[in-house]
Amino acid sequence: MSISRRQVLAGSAVSAAALASGFPAPAIAQNEPIKIGYLPALTGPSSSTGIGINRGTLLAIEEINAAGGIKGRKIELVSRDTQSDPTKAVNAVAELTQRQKASIIWGPLNSGEALAATPLIARDKVPMLHPCWVDSLIDVKKYPMAFRIAPTNTQVGIGANHYVVDVLKLKKVAVISDTTGYGTASVETYVPMLKSKGAEVVYSGHVDAANPDLKPELLRMRNAGAQAIMPWSVNAGFLSRILNTRGAMGWDVPVVGQTTLGSGQTKALLEKPENWNKVYSNNFRNCCYVGGKLPARAQEFVDRLKKSKIEFGDTLLWWVALGWDGAKMIGDTLQAVGPKANDIVAYWNKVKGWPGVYGTVTWTPEQHNGFPDSEVVMCEVNSLRDGAFNLAPGYSG
Amino acid sequence: MLESIVSYGLAVGAVYALIGITYNVMFSASRVFSFTAGMLGMLGGVLGALFINKLGLNAVLGFVAVLACGAVLGLITEVLTVRPVLKSIEQHLYVLSTLAFALMVQQLTAIEWGTEAQPFPRLIPIGAGWLDQQFWLPMLACAVTIVGLELLYRKTLVGRAFLAIAEDSYAARALGLPETRLRLASFALAGVIGTLAGFTGAQMLLAFFGNQSILSFYGFIPVALGGMGSNRGAVIGGLALGLFQQTANFLVGGIFAAVAVFAVFIVVLLFRPEGLAGAAAARRV
Repeated sequence: MSISRRQVLAGSAVSAAALASGFPAPAIAQNEPIKIGYLPALTGPSSSTGIGINRGTLLAIEEINAAGGIKGRKIELVSRDTQSDPTKAVNAVAELTQRQKASIIWGPLNSGEALAATPLIARDKVPMLHPCWVDSLIDVKKYPMAFRIAPTNTQVGIGANHYVVDVLKLKKVAVISDTTGYGTASVETYVPMLKSKGAEVVYSGHVDAANPDLKPELLRMRNAGAQAIMPWSVNAGFLSRILNTRGAMGWDVPVVGQTTLGSGQTKALLEKPENWNKVYSNNFRNCCYVGGKLPARAQEFVDRLKKSKIEFGDTLLWWVALGWDGAKMIGDTLQAVGPKANDIVAYWNKVKGWPGVYGTVTWTPEQHNGFPDSEVVMCEVNSLRDGAFNLAPGYSG
Repeated sequence: MLESIVSYGLAVGAVYALIGITYNVMFSASRVFSFTAGMLGMLGGVLGALFINKLGLNAVLGFVAVLACGAVLGLITEVLTVRPVLKSIEQHLYVLSTLAFALMVQQLTAIEWGTEAQPFPRLIPIGAGWLDQQFWLPMLACAVTIVGLELLYRKTLVGRAFLAIAEDSYAARALGLPETRLRLASFALAGVIGTLAGFTGAQMLLAFFGNQSILSFYGFIPVALGGMGSNRGAVIGGLALGLFQQTANFLVGGIFAAVAVFAVFIVVLLFRPEGLAGAAAARRV
C-alpha cells in the first residue's frame, strides 16, 4: 500500500492536535516495562565481581516487580555481558541508550569498562549509576548525569591509612606497589595522604610483580623500621609473595591494603595458612561481622538471600549487597519521579542518607560520590565466613 | 643476604639458562631463532599445575605428561611456523611466524587457564629455606640437561648428525642425513627442555600465563651473552644473569634492578657483540 504525502500531512495534523490538547498517551505505553540498561562483566578476567553484583541486582529487580513494579509498570533489566572488555561495553552502551532507550544505565561494574563507557553514556544524556572506584569517573561538569554508589580509590586509601595511623597507632609505614598504572598511581596518591596524617613513610617503592623474590624489599622495609606494610596491587601473585616472604622472615608486621589481599586467589598461593594472619584488607562497615554478628540491615538482607536460595558463600557479601543497593536505588528513584532523565538526576542530586545494605548514600548537585568515608573499613582476611569478614581489630563501635 | 642471592640467583639463573638452551637447540637445527622458547617455559608451569593440582595426576606422571606436551608443541612449532618460512629465511619471516604462534598460545592459555597466577605443587617435601625444592630443582634440571646434551652431541650418532646439520645443513643433506627429520627431532627436544625449565622453576615463578614474556626476554639474554648456539655459554650466561639480577635486587631494589640488568646487557653487547663465549664469525670473501 502506498502512502501519499496528503495522508502523511493529515496524520501529522491529527497527532499535533492530540498533543496540543493534552490527549492521553495510548494506554499500552503506561503498561510497558521501564527499561534499565545493565552492563555487568559476567565472563572474562574481571567477572568474579560482576557475578556477585549480578546476584544482588537480580534479587532487587525481582523484589520490586513482585511488589507491583513502578506504578504498575515492571522494570525490565536489559543486560549485556561486557565480558570484561571495554570495547564490548562501548558497543553495548550504544545499543542500550539509542536502540533500547533505557531510562537508566546501571554499570559498567568495572573501572576499565566504565572509563570507556562513561563519556558515551554522558553524550547520550542517560542517567548513569555505577560502583567503580576510579576517581575520575565522577565529574559533575563532564558527566552531570553520572552517580557513584561506592567509594572512590581515594576513599579506599583514606580508609586504609586511617586504620594504620589512627586505629593501630602505627607511625612508620612501608608502601609498596607493583609497576602497573593502578599500583603506581595508588602509591603516589596515598603516600602524601599518609604523611599529612603525621605518618613517616620509611619505604616507598614499585616492584615488578613478576619478581619471584621480594626478600630484598622486605629486608629494606624492616631495616627502615616499618611497623606496617601497605601493598597496593590487584596481583594475587605479588601479594602472596609479600605475605610468604614476611612469613619466612618470621616478621610479625601487619599488612594493610587492597581487597585482593583477602581474595581466594591470594589464599591459594600462600605457603602456609598462618601467612594470612595479621592481614587486613579494605571492606565496608555494613558488611562486616562485629562480635560475630552482622549489622541488622545486613543480617536482614542475608536472611532474605537465604530465603530466596541465592548462593553467596562462594562470593563476597558486599558484592551482592552492592548489586542489590544499585537496583534498589533505581527502583526507589523510578517510584518517586518516574523514568524521565532530568527528573531522575534532580532526584539523585537531593538523595540524603539513603540506607542501603552496602552503604549509606548521600549525593548533592556538587558531589556525585555518594559513599561515606566512615563506612570504608578494614577487615581480617582470614575470617571469611558466608561471604563476609570480621571487622579488623581496634575499631570502636 | 648472601644466602638469598646465591639460592635465588642460581635457581632463577638455571631457568634462564634452560630457556637459553631451548633457543639454541632450535636455532642449531634450523638457523631459525624461534620465539617459542618463553612459551614453552610458561607452559611447563601451567601444564604441571593443571596435571598435578587440577587433574590429580601423581608428580611423576604429571612431569612426564608435561614433557610429552612440550615435545608435541615443539613438533607443531616446526611444522606450522618454521618449515613454511625456511625458504625465505633471509627475510626473517620466521620472527613473525614463531612470535605469532607463541602469542596465540599465550592468549589461549589466558582464556582457558585464567589471568591470575596459580600455585604449583611442592613435589619433593624435603629441605627448608635455601635447601627447598624451588631452588635446587631448576639447578639439577640445568645440570642434567647440559650433561645430557653433551653426551648426546659427543657420544651418539644422532647427536653428531644434529651437529652436522647445525654446522652445514647443505653438506649434511648431501651426505644423506635426513635434515627434515633431524630438525623435527631438535624442535621436539627443545620442547622438552623448555617445558622442563618451566616445570622445575614453577614453584618459584608460579603457574602464570604472564611468565611467557619474562622468560622469552630473560632467556634470550644468556644466549646473547654466551654466544648464539653455545649451550655452555647459555649456562654460564644464565647463571651470571640470575646472580647479577638478584644482587641488583638487594643493592638497588625495585624497578632499578631491571634497569641495572638491561644496562649491563647493553654494555656487554657493545664490547662483545658475538657474546662472551662466542667467537667472531669468519666471513667468506
